[in-house]
Amino acid sequence: MLFSWNAWKRKNKRLRLLRVEVVEGRSVRRVLFSQSGPQQSQHSTPQQSTSQQTQHSQPFKYFIMQKFIVLFAALFLMSSSAFSQKLFTRDAKIKFSSDTPMEKIEGLNKSGTCVLDAATGKMEWKVLIKGFLFEKALMQEHFNENYLESSTFPNAQFKGQISNLSEINFSQDGKYNAKASGKLTIHGVERDVNVEGTVKVSKGSVEILSNFVVKPEDYKIAIPSLVRDNIAKEIKVTVSAVLQPLKS
Amino acid sequence: MKNKKILYAILAVALIGAVAGYMLWNKPHQDIGAAKADIAIDAIALYNEYNTDENAANAKYLDKVVAITGKVKEAAKDSDGAVKVSLEAGSDMGVVACELSPFANHSRTDFQAGEQVTFKGKCTGLNLDVIFVECVEAKK
Repeated sequence: MLFSWNAWKRKNKRLRLLRVEVVEGRSVRRVLFSQSGPQQSQHSTPQQSTSQQTQHSQPFKYFIMQKFIVLFAALFLMSSSAFSQKLFTRDAKIKFSSDTPMEKIEGLNKSGTCVLDAATGKMEWKVLIKGFLFEKALMQEHFNENYLESSTFPNAQFKGQISNLSEINFSQDGKYNAKASGKLTIHGVERDVNVEGTVKVSKGSVEILSNFVVKPEDYKIAIPSLVRDNIAKEIKVTVSAVLQPLKS
Repeated sequence: MKNKKILYAILAVALIGAVAGYMLWNKPHQDIGAAKADIAIDAIALYNEYNTDENAANAKYLDKVVAITGKVKEAAKDSDGAVKVSLEAGSDMGVVACELSPFANHSRTDFQAGEQVTFKGKCTGLNLDVIFVECVEAKK
Protein backbone atom coordinates (compact mmCIF):
# COMPACT_ATOMS: atom_id res chain seq x y z
CA MET A 1 0.00 0.00 0.00
CA LEU A 2 2.87 2.30 0.88
CA PHE A 3 4.49 1.59 -2.45
CA SER A 4 1.45 2.56 -4.46
CA TRP A 5 1.08 5.59 -2.25
CA ASN A 6 4.59 6.75 -3.26
CA ALA A 7 3.92 5.93 -6.87
CA TRP A 8 0.85 8.05 -6.74
CA LYS A 9 2.83 10.86 -5.17
CA ARG A 10 5.44 10.69 -7.90
CA LYS A 11 2.81 10.74 -10.61
CA ASN A 12 1.06 13.66 -9.06
CA LYS A 13 2.46 17.07 -9.80
CA ARG A 14 0.62 18.87 -7.07
CA LEU A 15 2.75 17.80 -4.15
CA ARG A 16 2.20 21.06 -2.32
CA LEU A 17 -1.50 20.32 -2.04
CA LEU A 18 -0.78 16.83 -0.80
CA ARG A 19 1.37 18.22 1.97
CA VAL A 20 -1.45 20.49 3.02
CA GLU A 21 -3.69 17.50 3.18
CA VAL A 22 -1.28 15.41 5.20
CA VAL A 23 -0.94 18.22 7.69
CA GLU A 24 -4.67 18.51 7.91
CA GLY A 25 -4.95 14.75 8.18
CA ARG A 26 -2.75 14.98 11.24
CA SER A 27 -4.87 17.65 12.75
CA VAL A 28 -7.89 15.46 12.21
CA ARG A 29 -6.01 12.74 14.01
CA ARG A 30 -5.32 15.05 16.92
CA VAL A 31 -8.95 16.05 17.03
CA LEU A 32 -10.02 12.41 17.09
CA PHE A 33 -7.62 11.76 19.90
CA SER A 34 -8.95 14.53 22.08
CA GLN A 35 -12.45 13.27 21.27
CA SER A 36 -14.03 16.58 20.48
CA GLY A 37 -16.42 15.58 17.76
CA PRO A 38 -17.72 18.92 16.47
CA GLN A 39 -14.25 20.31 15.75
CA GLN A 40 -13.59 17.47 13.38
CA SER A 41 -16.27 18.55 10.99
CA GLN A 42 -15.01 22.13 11.13
CA HIS A 43 -11.65 20.87 9.99
CA SER A 44 -12.94 18.76 7.18
CA THR A 45 -14.95 21.58 5.63
CA PRO A 46 -12.03 23.86 4.68
CA GLN A 47 -10.12 20.76 3.64
CA GLN A 48 -12.74 19.84 1.11
CA SER A 49 -12.98 23.34 -0.28
CA THR A 50 -9.17 23.50 -0.68
CA SER A 51 -9.14 20.41 -2.83
CA GLN A 52 -12.06 21.61 -4.90
CA GLN A 53 -10.41 24.96 -5.61
CA THR A 54 -6.99 23.67 -6.59
CA GLN A 55 -7.86 20.41 -8.25
CA HIS A 56 -10.29 21.03 -11.03
CA SER A 57 -9.23 18.21 -13.33
CA GLN A 58 -9.65 15.25 -10.99
CA PRO A 59 -12.00 16.29 -8.19
CA PHE A 60 -13.35 12.81 -7.62
CA LYS A 61 -9.94 11.23 -7.34
CA TYR A 62 -8.98 13.87 -4.85
CA PHE A 63 -12.08 13.31 -2.83
CA ILE A 64 -11.20 9.60 -2.59
CA MET A 65 -7.63 10.45 -1.62
CA GLN A 66 -8.89 12.65 1.16
CA LYS A 67 -10.99 9.83 2.52
CA PHE A 68 -7.92 7.62 2.36
CA ILE A 69 -5.85 10.07 4.33
CA VAL A 70 -8.48 10.33 7.03
CA LEU A 71 -8.87 6.56 7.07
CA PHE A 72 -5.13 6.11 7.21
CA ALA A 73 -4.89 8.58 10.08
CA ALA A 74 -7.67 6.80 11.93
CA LEU A 75 -6.00 3.42 11.42
CA PHE A 76 -2.69 4.81 12.60
CA LEU A 77 -4.39 6.27 15.64
CA MET A 78 -5.99 2.94 16.48
CA SER A 79 -2.76 1.00 16.19
CA SER A 80 -0.76 3.60 18.07
CA SER A 81 -2.99 3.67 21.12
CA ALA A 82 -1.24 0.89 22.99
CA PHE A 83 -4.29 -0.04 25.04
CA SER A 84 -7.25 -0.62 22.83
CA GLN A 85 -8.35 -3.69 24.71
CA LYS A 86 -11.50 -4.62 26.49
CA LEU A 87 -11.17 -5.26 30.19
CA PHE A 88 -13.44 -7.51 32.12
CA THR A 89 -14.27 -9.17 35.41
CA ARG A 90 -16.97 -11.43 36.76
CA ASP A 91 -15.91 -10.84 40.39
CA ALA A 92 -16.95 -7.21 40.83
CA LYS A 93 -17.98 -6.41 44.39
CA ILE A 94 -21.09 -4.33 44.95
CA LYS A 95 -21.75 -3.35 48.53
CA PHE A 96 -24.33 -1.07 50.01
CA SER A 97 -25.09 0.08 53.48
CA SER A 98 -27.96 1.83 55.13
CA ASP A 99 -26.88 3.46 58.35
CA THR A 100 -29.41 4.87 60.78
CA PRO A 101 -29.45 5.16 64.57
CA MET A 102 -32.10 2.42 64.52
CA GLU A 103 -30.12 -0.19 62.63
CA LYS A 104 -27.32 -0.83 60.19
CA ILE A 105 -28.10 -2.85 57.11
CA GLU A 106 -25.40 -4.09 54.77
CA GLY A 107 -25.66 -6.13 51.62
CA LEU A 108 -22.79 -7.53 49.62
CA ASN A 109 -22.60 -9.12 46.20
CA LYS A 110 -19.32 -10.56 44.98
CA SER A 111 -20.32 -11.73 41.52
CA GLY A 112 -21.01 -8.58 39.56
CA THR A 113 -19.78 -8.27 35.99
CA CYS A 114 -17.97 -5.24 34.69
CA VAL A 115 -16.66 -4.64 31.19
CA LEU A 116 -14.69 -1.58 30.16
CA ASP A 117 -13.47 -0.61 26.72
CA ALA A 118 -10.29 1.29 27.52
CA ALA A 119 -10.19 2.80 24.03
CA THR A 120 -13.61 4.42 24.17
CA GLY A 121 -14.28 4.58 27.92
CA LYS A 122 -17.56 2.69 27.54
CA MET A 123 -18.38 0.77 30.68
CA GLU A 124 -21.06 -1.68 31.78
CA TRP A 125 -21.79 -3.18 35.17
CA LYS A 126 -24.41 -5.75 35.97
CA VAL A 127 -25.33 -7.51 39.18
CA LEU A 128 -27.99 -10.04 40.19
CA ILE A 129 -30.19 -8.81 43.04
CA LYS A 130 -30.67 -12.26 44.53
CA GLY A 131 -26.92 -12.54 44.95
CA PHE A 132 -26.80 -9.88 47.70
CA LEU A 133 -26.11 -11.45 51.06
CA PHE A 134 -27.00 -9.93 54.44
CA GLU A 135 -25.94 -10.77 57.94
CA LYS A 136 -29.55 -11.33 58.96
CA ALA A 137 -31.74 -13.67 56.95
CA LEU A 138 -34.76 -11.47 57.55
CA MET A 139 -33.07 -8.46 55.97
CA GLN A 140 -32.21 -10.54 52.93
CA GLU A 141 -35.79 -11.73 52.68
CA HIS A 142 -37.27 -8.24 52.98
CA PHE A 143 -34.71 -6.82 50.54
CA ASN A 144 -35.68 -9.39 47.90
CA GLU A 145 -39.41 -9.69 48.48
CA ASN A 146 -40.56 -6.27 49.66
CA TYR A 147 -38.07 -3.69 48.50
CA LEU A 148 -36.13 -4.69 45.39
CA GLU A 149 -38.72 -7.27 44.26
CA SER A 150 -35.97 -9.40 42.80
CA SER A 151 -38.29 -11.90 41.15
CA THR A 152 -39.69 -9.12 38.95
CA PHE A 153 -36.48 -7.10 38.61
CA PRO A 154 -33.70 -9.70 38.73
CA ASN A 155 -30.75 -7.38 38.14
CA ALA A 156 -29.36 -3.90 38.49
CA GLN A 157 -27.06 -2.35 35.94
CA PHE A 158 -25.05 0.65 34.95
CA LYS A 159 -24.33 1.52 31.33
CA GLY A 160 -22.17 4.52 30.76
CA GLN A 161 -18.96 6.15 29.89
CA ILE A 162 -15.83 7.37 31.60
CA SER A 163 -16.13 11.08 30.92
CA ASN A 164 -12.53 12.13 31.62
CA LEU A 165 -10.90 9.36 29.59
CA SER A 166 -8.10 11.62 28.35
CA GLU A 167 -6.84 11.99 31.93
CA ILE A 168 -6.39 8.25 32.35
CA ASN A 169 -3.44 6.44 30.85
CA PHE A 170 -4.29 2.75 30.81
CA SER A 171 -0.83 1.80 29.66
CA GLN A 172 0.97 3.48 32.53
CA ASP A 173 0.80 2.26 36.13
CA GLY A 174 -0.72 4.77 38.48
CA LYS A 175 -3.83 5.95 40.24
CA TYR A 176 -6.18 8.25 38.36
CA ASN A 177 -9.28 10.12 39.39
CA ALA A 178 -12.16 9.12 37.19
CA LYS A 179 -15.60 10.40 36.40
CA ALA A 180 -18.36 8.41 34.82
CA SER A 181 -21.80 9.24 33.60
CA GLY A 182 -24.52 7.00 32.36
CA LYS A 183 -27.72 5.23 33.18
CA LEU A 184 -28.22 3.33 36.41
CA THR A 185 -31.10 0.87 36.49
CA ILE A 186 -32.36 -0.44 39.81
CA HIS A 187 -35.77 -1.91 40.55
CA GLY A 188 -36.68 -1.42 36.88
CA VAL A 189 -36.18 2.36 37.10
CA GLU A 190 -33.55 3.90 34.83
CA ARG A 191 -31.93 7.18 35.88
CA ASP A 192 -29.08 9.34 34.64
CA VAL A 193 -26.24 9.42 37.13
CA ASN A 194 -22.80 10.98 37.45
CA VAL A 195 -20.33 9.24 39.73
CA GLU A 196 -16.74 9.75 40.71
CA GLY A 197 -14.14 7.19 41.54
CA THR A 198 -10.60 6.08 40.97
CA VAL A 199 -8.91 3.94 38.36
CA LYS A 200 -5.76 2.16 39.46
CA VAL A 201 -3.58 0.71 36.74
CA SER A 202 -0.95 -1.80 37.73
CA LYS A 203 0.78 -4.44 35.62
CA GLY A 204 -1.94 -4.64 33.00
CA SER A 205 -4.82 -5.01 35.43
CA VAL A 206 -7.15 -2.12 36.12
CA GLU A 207 -8.91 -1.59 39.42
CA ILE A 208 -12.00 0.60 39.50
CA LEU A 209 -13.37 1.94 42.76
CA SER A 210 -16.34 4.18 43.32
CA ASN A 211 -18.61 5.35 46.11
CA PHE A 212 -21.93 6.95 45.43
CA VAL A 213 -25.30 7.46 47.00
CA VAL A 214 -28.64 6.07 45.92
CA LYS A 215 -32.00 7.26 47.24
CA PRO A 216 -34.61 4.48 47.48
CA GLU A 217 -37.40 6.92 46.55
CA ASP A 218 -35.66 7.73 43.26
CA TYR A 219 -36.02 4.12 42.20
CA LYS A 220 -39.62 3.70 43.34
CA ILE A 221 -38.64 1.46 46.21
CA ALA A 222 -41.58 1.68 48.58
CA ILE A 223 -40.75 1.62 52.26
CA PRO A 224 -43.63 1.38 54.76
CA SER A 225 -43.81 4.50 56.93
CA LEU A 226 -43.60 2.34 60.06
CA VAL A 227 -39.99 1.36 59.24
CA ARG A 228 -39.03 4.43 57.21
CA ASP A 229 -36.71 5.63 59.97
CA ASN A 230 -34.91 2.29 60.02
CA ILE A 231 -33.71 2.68 56.47
CA ALA A 232 -31.41 5.50 55.43
CA LYS A 233 -32.69 8.21 53.10
CA GLU A 234 -29.41 7.87 51.25
CA ILE A 235 -27.99 4.40 50.74
CA LYS A 236 -24.22 4.33 50.36
CA VAL A 237 -23.06 2.14 47.51
CA THR A 238 -19.47 0.98 47.02
CA VAL A 239 -18.40 -0.75 43.85
CA SER A 240 -15.00 -2.24 43.17
CA ALA A 241 -13.68 -4.35 40.36
CA VAL A 242 -10.28 -5.64 39.30
CA LEU A 243 -10.43 -5.93 35.54
CA GLN A 244 -8.24 -8.12 33.38
CA PRO A 245 -7.74 -7.85 29.62
CA LEU A 246 -10.34 -9.92 27.84
CA LYS A 247 -8.74 -12.86 26.11
CA SER A 248 -10.02 -13.22 22.61
CA MET B 1 -59.87 -9.14 90.49
CA LYS B 2 -61.24 -9.05 86.99
CA ASN B 3 -59.01 -6.08 86.12
CA LYS B 4 -55.92 -7.95 87.29
CA LYS B 5 -56.75 -10.95 85.09
CA ILE B 6 -57.06 -8.71 82.05
CA LEU B 7 -53.76 -7.04 82.87
CA TYR B 8 -51.98 -10.42 83.13
CA ALA B 9 -53.49 -11.53 79.85
CA ILE B 10 -52.29 -8.39 78.12
CA LEU B 11 -48.80 -8.79 79.60
CA ALA B 12 -48.63 -12.41 78.49
CA VAL B 13 -49.63 -11.53 74.93
CA ALA B 14 -47.07 -8.69 74.84
CA LEU B 15 -44.33 -11.00 76.09
CA ILE B 16 -45.13 -13.69 73.53
CA GLY B 17 -45.21 -10.99 70.85
CA ALA B 18 -41.83 -9.61 71.92
CA VAL B 19 -40.21 -13.06 72.00
CA ALA B 20 -41.68 -13.99 68.62
CA GLY B 21 -40.53 -10.67 67.17
CA TYR B 22 -37.04 -11.10 68.55
CA MET B 23 -36.77 -14.65 67.21
CA LEU B 24 -38.03 -13.60 63.82
CA TRP B 25 -35.59 -10.69 63.74
CA ASN B 26 -32.73 -13.05 64.49
CA LYS B 27 -33.98 -15.81 62.25
CA PRO B 28 -30.91 -17.69 61.07
CA HIS B 29 -30.10 -18.20 57.41
CA GLN B 30 -31.43 -21.41 55.97
CA ASP B 31 -29.16 -24.31 56.87
CA ILE B 32 -28.39 -25.35 53.32
CA GLY B 33 -26.12 -28.17 54.47
CA ALA B 34 -28.99 -29.85 56.30
CA ALA B 35 -31.65 -28.89 53.77
CA LYS B 36 -32.89 -31.38 51.23
CA ALA B 37 -32.22 -30.23 47.68
CA ASP B 38 -35.37 -29.38 45.72
CA ILE B 39 -33.68 -30.20 42.41
CA ALA B 40 -30.46 -31.95 41.44
CA ILE B 41 -28.81 -31.15 38.13
CA ASP B 42 -25.53 -31.31 36.24
CA ALA B 43 -23.69 -27.98 35.74
CA ILE B 44 -23.47 -28.32 31.94
CA ALA B 45 -27.17 -29.19 31.60
CA LEU B 46 -28.12 -26.25 33.84
CA TYR B 47 -25.98 -23.79 31.88
CA ASN B 48 -27.55 -25.01 28.64
CA GLU B 49 -31.03 -24.56 30.06
CA TYR B 50 -30.16 -21.00 31.02
CA ASN B 51 -28.79 -20.17 27.60
CA THR B 52 -31.76 -21.73 25.82
CA ASP B 53 -34.48 -20.01 27.84
CA GLU B 54 -33.44 -17.81 30.73
CA ASN B 55 -36.98 -17.08 31.92
CA ALA B 56 -37.96 -20.72 31.98
CA ALA B 57 -34.78 -21.61 33.86
CA ASN B 58 -35.35 -18.80 36.35
CA ALA B 59 -38.88 -20.04 37.01
CA LYS B 60 -37.49 -23.49 37.64
CA TYR B 61 -34.42 -22.73 39.76
CA LEU B 62 -34.61 -19.34 41.50
CA ASP B 63 -35.15 -19.42 45.26
CA LYS B 64 -34.73 -23.19 45.33
CA VAL B 65 -32.05 -25.25 47.00
CA VAL B 66 -30.31 -26.83 44.02
CA ALA B 67 -27.79 -29.65 44.13
CA ILE B 68 -25.35 -28.90 41.37
CA THR B 69 -22.75 -31.37 40.18
CA GLY B 70 -19.82 -30.60 37.95
CA LYS B 71 -16.10 -30.58 37.27
CA VAL B 72 -14.11 -27.83 39.00
CA LYS B 73 -12.64 -25.41 36.44
CA GLU B 74 -11.02 -23.17 39.01
CA ALA B 75 -11.37 -22.16 42.64
CA ALA B 76 -10.50 -18.68 43.84
CA LYS B 77 -10.24 -17.11 47.26
CA ASP B 78 -10.70 -13.35 47.54
CA SER B 79 -9.10 -10.97 50.02
CA ASP B 80 -11.84 -11.65 52.60
CA GLY B 81 -11.22 -15.38 52.36
CA ALA B 82 -14.47 -15.98 50.50
CA VAL B 83 -14.26 -18.91 48.11
CA LYS B 84 -15.81 -19.07 44.67
CA VAL B 85 -15.69 -22.33 42.78
CA SER B 86 -16.28 -22.31 39.03
CA LEU B 87 -17.71 -25.45 37.51
CA GLU B 88 -17.25 -26.35 33.85
CA ALA B 89 -20.35 -25.44 31.86
CA GLY B 90 -19.29 -26.81 28.48
CA SER B 91 -18.76 -23.30 27.12
CA ASP B 92 -15.94 -20.78 26.76
CA MET B 93 -18.35 -17.98 27.57
CA GLY B 94 -19.34 -18.86 31.08
CA VAL B 95 -19.25 -21.23 34.00
CA VAL B 96 -21.51 -22.23 36.83
CA ALA B 97 -20.13 -20.16 39.70
CA CYS B 98 -20.67 -21.31 43.26
CA GLU B 99 -19.98 -18.90 46.13
CA LEU B 100 -19.39 -20.83 49.34
CA SER B 101 -21.77 -19.72 52.07
CA PRO B 102 -20.40 -17.23 54.60
CA PHE B 103 -23.10 -18.42 57.02
CA ALA B 104 -22.05 -22.07 57.20
CA ASN B 105 -19.10 -24.13 58.36
CA HIS B 106 -17.29 -25.93 55.60
CA SER B 107 -15.48 -29.24 55.87
CA ARG B 108 -12.99 -27.86 53.33
CA THR B 109 -12.44 -24.74 51.27
CA ASP B 110 -9.76 -26.02 48.91
CA PHE B 111 -10.88 -27.42 45.62
CA GLN B 112 -8.66 -28.73 42.85
CA ALA B 113 -9.25 -28.12 39.17
CA GLY B 114 -10.59 -31.24 37.51
CA GLU B 115 -12.25 -32.80 40.51
CA GLN B 116 -15.93 -33.71 40.53
CA VAL B 117 -17.98 -31.98 43.22
CA THR B 118 -21.58 -31.45 44.24
CA PHE B 119 -22.71 -28.25 45.93
CA LYS B 120 -26.04 -27.36 47.39
CA GLY B 121 -26.85 -23.70 47.02
CA LYS B 122 -29.33 -21.06 45.96
CA CYS B 123 -29.56 -20.09 42.33
CA THR B 124 -29.51 -16.32 41.74
CA GLY B 125 -29.75 -16.32 37.95
CA LEU B 126 -27.65 -15.69 34.86
CA ASN B 127 -25.07 -12.91 34.62
CA LEU B 128 -22.78 -14.44 31.97
CA ASP B 129 -22.27 -17.23 34.50
CA VAL B 130 -25.07 -19.01 36.29
CA ILE B 131 -24.40 -17.89 39.84
CA PHE B 132 -25.13 -19.77 43.04
CA VAL B 133 -24.80 -18.31 46.53
CA GLU B 134 -24.80 -19.80 50.03
CA CYS B 135 -23.22 -22.99 48.70
CA VAL B 136 -22.25 -25.91 50.88
CA GLU B 137 -20.54 -29.02 49.57
CA ALA B 138 -22.95 -31.94 49.62
CA LYS B 139 -21.83 -34.94 51.63
CA LYS B 140 -20.99 -37.90 49.48
